[in-house]
Amino acid sequence: MIGYSVRRGGQGIVVVIAVTFITFFEAHLMPGNPARAILGVHASGAQIVAFDRANGYDHPLFIQYFAYIGRLLHGNLGFSYQLNQSVAALLGERLPATVILVGLSVVVAFIVAIPLAVLQAVRRNRPVDYALTGASLTFYSTPTFWLGLIFIDLLAVKVHLFPPAAPQGSAGQILAHPLGLVLPVATLALVSIASFSRYLRSSMLDNLGEDYVRTARAKGAPERVVLYRHVFRNALAPLITLIGLSLPGILSGALITESVFNYPGMGLLFWNSALSQDYPVMLGVTIVVAVATVAGSLLADLLYAVADPRVRYRRA
Amino acid sequence: MSQAATGRAAEMTTGDEARPPARAAASPWRLAAETFVQNKAAIAGLVFILAMAAFSFLGPLFYHTNQVTTNLPGSLRPPGAAHPLGTDDEGYDELGRLMLGGQTSLEVGLAAALVATGIGVAYGAVSGFAGGIVDGILMRAVDALLAIPTLFLLIYLFTVFRADVWLLIVVIGLVAWLVPARLVRAETLSLRTREYVQAVRAAGGTRRRMIVRHIIPNTAGTIMVNATFQVADAILALASLSFLGLGIPPPAANWGQMLSSGLTYIYGGAWWLIYPPGIAIVLTVMAFNSVGDSLRDSFDSRLARR
Repeated sequence: MIGYSVRRGGQGIVVVIAVTFITFFEAHLMPGNPARAILGVHASGAQIVAFDRANGYDHPLFIQYFAYIGRLLHGNLGFSYQLNQSVAALLGERLPATVILVGLSVVVAFIVAIPLAVLQAVRRNRPVDYALTGASLTFYSTPTFWLGLIFIDLLAVKVHLFPPAAPQGSAGQILAHPLGLVLPVATLALVSIASFSRYLRSSMLDNLGEDYVRTARAKGAPERVVLYRHVFRNALAPLITLIGLSLPGILSGALITESVFNYPGMGLLFWNSALSQDYPVMLGVTIVVAVATVAGSLLADLLYAVADPRVRYRRA
Repeated sequence: MSQAATGRAAEMTTGDEARPPARAAASPWRLAAETFVQNKAAIAGLVFILAMAAFSFLGPLFYHTNQVTTNLPGSLRPPGAAHPLGTDDEGYDELGRLMLGGQTSLEVGLAAALVATGIGVAYGAVSGFAGGIVDGILMRAVDALLAIPTLFLLIYLFTVFRADVWLLIVVIGLVAWLVPARLVRAETLSLRTREYVQAVRAAGGTRRRMIVRHIIPNTAGTIMVNATFQVADAILALASLSFLGLGIPPPAANWGQMLSSGLTYIYGGAWWLIYPPGIAIVLTVMAFNSVGDSLRDSFDSRLARR
């Protein structure tokens, strides 16, 4: 297990380093150059030179890259000249809100998807199974933002059940208004419910064809025991990996959900800075999101190795 | 119950043995085509895609609307005789706009999927075939790009570059090639050790011949299945980008962008601005997904979608 963790962790670090290459490259994609992008089109040549010197942009690229890594390691994610605040401070305000949104919706997705998938596997190829398969295909194909719009139209505008916009303020203030969280969490969760239940259903059906199921039936185990004690447990483990894999998709969904409901999270911050072309904020958020994704999939792989020891011995 | 293996997935593993021997001689493509045709969902999906293409590209020939100049006095009209689906906030006829939006969605979706598949196949085949340290480096690069959620990457690129149709196609394609690259690489890893590929080497064939003539054709099933899902994903990505205001600027039309202006008028009860484009997106994406699902069953390839 230790060997596997070290190997897998090492891969994670390599990936994070590669991510910094990408964001560093992205920074140099900024229109004109960073100085132009930050100071604006009216900046004079002298101002640009001064800015370049002050921020090390007059050095060769590889020195700039190492300086950039040094800043990242010190927790310096850049500075938003438009909001006049450090990116780290901005993220400190917004990150908890996104963690609440994403965390709640993954938990909700699990709670709903597991019984649905079990029901489908038990009643496979019956009307219930077809109806649920159809429903999950539908939600799987539904854009997050449209789902949010429908929820606002039906449950906030037509019937005043929930507020149409998310609660504002810090994480504590958001949690103090649970009613406002219902629509954003439901919007983000529904797509995950569809993909989790699709996956778990087919994973259970795969397992039903395995030899151990035949053995269990042959020794006279009742169908309930076969399903819940044998098939369900074996089908559940791969779901851990799926969460790790779906994390980037869920975070993209969170960006959309946050912008539909004006939810004060990291995705909304990213989108607002895209609208005002606040590049340092965009790059800072990208790094944090990417590291979170790598950490998430690393955690999922390690948990999976705990759940299924065979994985540890298989070389990736 | 004798065999609980009536489930779709279970059938996939036993399907070949269960076939009558006469059919065993048929080519794998023919078998796949036969399975595909028997699947009602797949046929429904395919029919829908063709109908949507006809609606978007042939519709404007019969249903003439002005989609270029705005008509502010006639804006936000509810559906009626003159405008079956009403008008939007700039006075464009919603039904005509739906057709225009369909053109963009299908064009960008198909072309981006083509770009993504092309790059992914080449990259994956080379990486899997090379193996060793080259494979390691190439795959870590894929991991790194996969770690940045697609939408964040797309939004960044579109704040830097001004969008037009071609750029949308290239950029969505450039962001989406990672999954086919992984799938093809995984298949190549196992294919390159097969005897018929080794035979090419023994006969003095070049590595290029091994990849282009023997390995890639054998991943065709995987590639086709994934390409179908790529179209669905590209249509969703285009809609999301346009919804966020980063798609093609007006008067070009797009379903996502139509929904984005619908959001502004949702509180005024302009339901006709949010339901038709949304339903169009869902049904089109669903059609591609269901065709992809059935293709996967037909090719009996055990692909996992992201």
